[in-house]
Amino acid sequence: MTHDFTFLLRPHFLSARNRASRRERGDLTRGVLFGGIGLVVFFALFQGASWLTGQLEDYAELGDYLLRMGLSWLFLTFLSFLAFSGVVTALSTFFLSDDLRLLLAAPIAVRRVFHARFLRTVAQASWMVVIFLAPVLMGIGWARCAGPWYYVMAIFTVAPFAVIPVAAGSAVTMLLVNTFPARRARDLLMLMGLLFAATLVILLRFIRPEQLMRVESLPDLTGFFATLQSPITPLLPSFWAGEMLFSTLRGERDLLHTAALWSTALGSVVLLRMAGERWYLSGYSRSQEASKARFDQLRLLDAGVRVLPMSTVRRQLLIKDLKVFLRDVGQWSQLLLLLALMLVYLYNFRVLDLDSIPYMSVFIKNTYAFVNLGMAGFVMATVAVRFVFPAVSAEGAAFWIIRTAPISLRDFLWSKFWTGFVPVFVLTESLTVVANEFLSTDPFMKVTAAVAIVFMSLALVGLATGLGARYPRFGADATQAAGSYGGVAFMVQAVLFIIVTIALLGWPSSVYLLAHFRHLPLSVSQQLLIALCFGGVAAMSVTIWITSMQSGVRALEAMSQ
Amino acid sequence: MISLQHLVKTYGTFTAVDDVSLDVAAGEIHGFLGPNGAGKTTTLRMIAGLLKPTSGRIVVNDHDLATEPEAAKMSLGFIPDRPFIYEKLTAGEFLRFHAGLYGIDGSGVGDRVHEMLELFELGRWENELIEAFSHGMKQRLVMSAAFLHRPQSVVVDEPMVGLDPRGAVLIKDVFRRMSEKGVAILMSTHTLEVAQEMCDRISIILKGRIIARGTVDELRAQSGGGDAHLTDVFLKLTGGSGLQELDEVI
Repeated sequence: MTHDFTFLLRPHFLSARNRASRRERGDLTRGVLFGGIGLVVFFALFQGASWLTGQLEDYAELGDYLLRMGLSWLFLTFLSFLAFSGVVTALSTFFLSDDLRLLLAAPIAVRRVFHARFLRTVAQASWMVVIFLAPVLMGIGWARCAGPWYYVMAIFTVAPFAVIPVAAGSAVTMLLVNTFPARRARDLLMLMGLLFAATLVILLRFIRPEQLMRVESLPDLTGFFATLQSPITPLLPSFWAGEMLFSTLRGERDLLHTAALWSTALGSVVLLRMAGERWYLSGYSRSQEASKARFDQLRLLDAGVRVLPMSTVRRQLLIKDLKVFLRDVGQWSQLLLLLALMLVYLYNFRVLDLDSIPYMSVFIKNTYAFVNLGMAGFVMATVAVRFVFPAVSAEGAAFWIIRTAPISLRDFLWSKFWTGFVPVFVLTESLTVVANEFLSTDPFMKVTAAVAIVFMSLALVGLATGLGARYPRFGADATQAAGSYGGVAFMVQAVLFIIVTIALLGWPSSVYLLAHFRHLPLSVSQQLLIALCFGGVAAMSVTIWITSMQSGVRALEAMSQ
Repeated sequence: MISLQHLVKTYGTFTAVDDVSLDVAAGEIHGFLGPNGAGKTTTLRMIAGLLKPTSGRIVVNDHDLATEPEAAKMSLGFIPDRPFIYEKLTAGEFLRFHAGLYGIDGSGVGDRVHEMLELFELGRWENELIEAFSHGMKQRLVMSAAFLHRPQSVVVDEPMVGLDPRGAVLIKDVFRRMSEKGVAILMSTHTLEVAQEMCDRISIILKGRIIARGTVDELRAQSGGGDAHLTDVFLKLTGGSGLQELDEVI
């Protein structure tokens, strides 16, 4: 047994290689779509960073000062993200992975397992940050005409910078798992993380950054810089990383901060390893003992569903789906983030001061009503792909229970549809109605948008349910199912549907509104065209809804071929 | 009762089940034996409605599975080899859900659920999440679900896997009592002692075809094995196992 710890990472490399060499249906579509989006984002970040750095250069020393602070802020933002990501990833890699039973039962020193797992944790927790940082740092280097040494130093900065917070996060996880059962700790962490993210989003919005753009609302210059600088304490690795890169940009060597960053990274790994040798196995052992987690019996839900006028089979399917969903913190907690984003979205309409431009206000308000409808459509598509599309896949290996029961697959799929439709409809309808109320749009627009949401919900939830039945991923979790070929196909079709719907509603609405504001009557041909467009949207939605469901039922029935 | 008539299942050019005909009468426990990959699970999955036969007919309690699938399933209980169930439900909730799937509702459900949980010694686990259950407990829960709606026929795939000796005795007892009450049971198993002890008749399937059928004594006669143990009869009928070569290899 002379292999080093990297040998333990071989299964992951081999799995990745095998996955890459075996093409699956939809790989090309996925590759083109996600690759294209990735490239666009990469170039946008590169261009943005390059443009901003170029602009700052015009302000000589002040520009340099702002760039230096900007780098520290950039790393500070990622420091907290990496630490949290480290906590969550470590829970899975160190304690919950299925392959740990195999590895820890094998004659391998725990230290080697620990090293391999830590390397995997760092890679898993930081890849997103690295991918985001790469174009930004490249853009900065490009704008400042930096030499190759800058790019080499960027790698030598990001590597230890990623290790420190992930090591700290892993240590927190080890402490948590030694205190709580691992499965309970996972729920707590997910909830904490999502609450953290939701609070961050809301706070960022409620400090109203747009006020910074108003000169009269700015504090005096010293106060402004003091505010910007306060969290950037010289004791944090984010400050050292920013300083290292800034001095490299100026062609200097910052040995002090380089040494601080590297020695802290190495020190944190050594400390974590020592902690691991002391507490890893005991934590892993505890994570195996946690069989009896507390959970809610949800008796209120039983009683609530019982009063609904539906058949026994549908009632039991609904109770089962709701309980399975509500008891999986990983599932419902994502709704919290969505609700936070919705609050921010609505708040934007609340603070939108369109009356300050009176001659444009009516026009803009009604245009916003359509933007709002489009946004509601995208929220609907996102919620549908994440929660409705995986509904059939969520049956997982237990799908045999449904298939051997004396119920038709049509009843089963329609039950999935209604379970998804009601929350999606209520969510998007309230979003649209409230936003239009805040905007004080024309009553015609309010009614048009409210009715459009009914048809859009039927079409998109029907499409998601039908495609979810046509392309189920029984072995995958909901997120993986949403990102599968069927999920991507749904998103493409949903976006096309939303665009066509907005176009078909937009033109007749503008004709009506123009005539209304000019106090002119609508001609017969105009009325006919308006009715045709509105009718077209309704017909298209109903057709998509019904055909998707029929195709889904056929696909489920064909599964037993 | 369960009746299979000239059942065929093909996957491309591969024939997994080849012209299988079989009858399980009311009150009979019928063993379904065969080596790995012989077509046992495929046959049972077709009876349960999980797979559609390429040709042939399946009749469950006088209902043709192809034309009256819901009526046929209503009177059938299916116990799969691996007990996958909803991990986030409690045992009680799962059984109530299962009852609902079979259209059983109302005040009697609670009593029936308790009855089944007690029968399978899971009473004190009624309000625990299934994810906390061991394999054997999940297996017993699946069995209690299969018998919950009082089926007239039951199809069981490998009932003893993962059960402790007490659990195994309990299951054998339940199967016997059910058959005494007239339930037809078709049971696939690799545990030949169980088949010998429990089954009224046995069918042996090899490469998709039934190669022998009868009581244990009739099978002994067919293999020319005298009063040999069922294991020896099985090995003879299915072409030996190469056991003689084991010594050399080991």
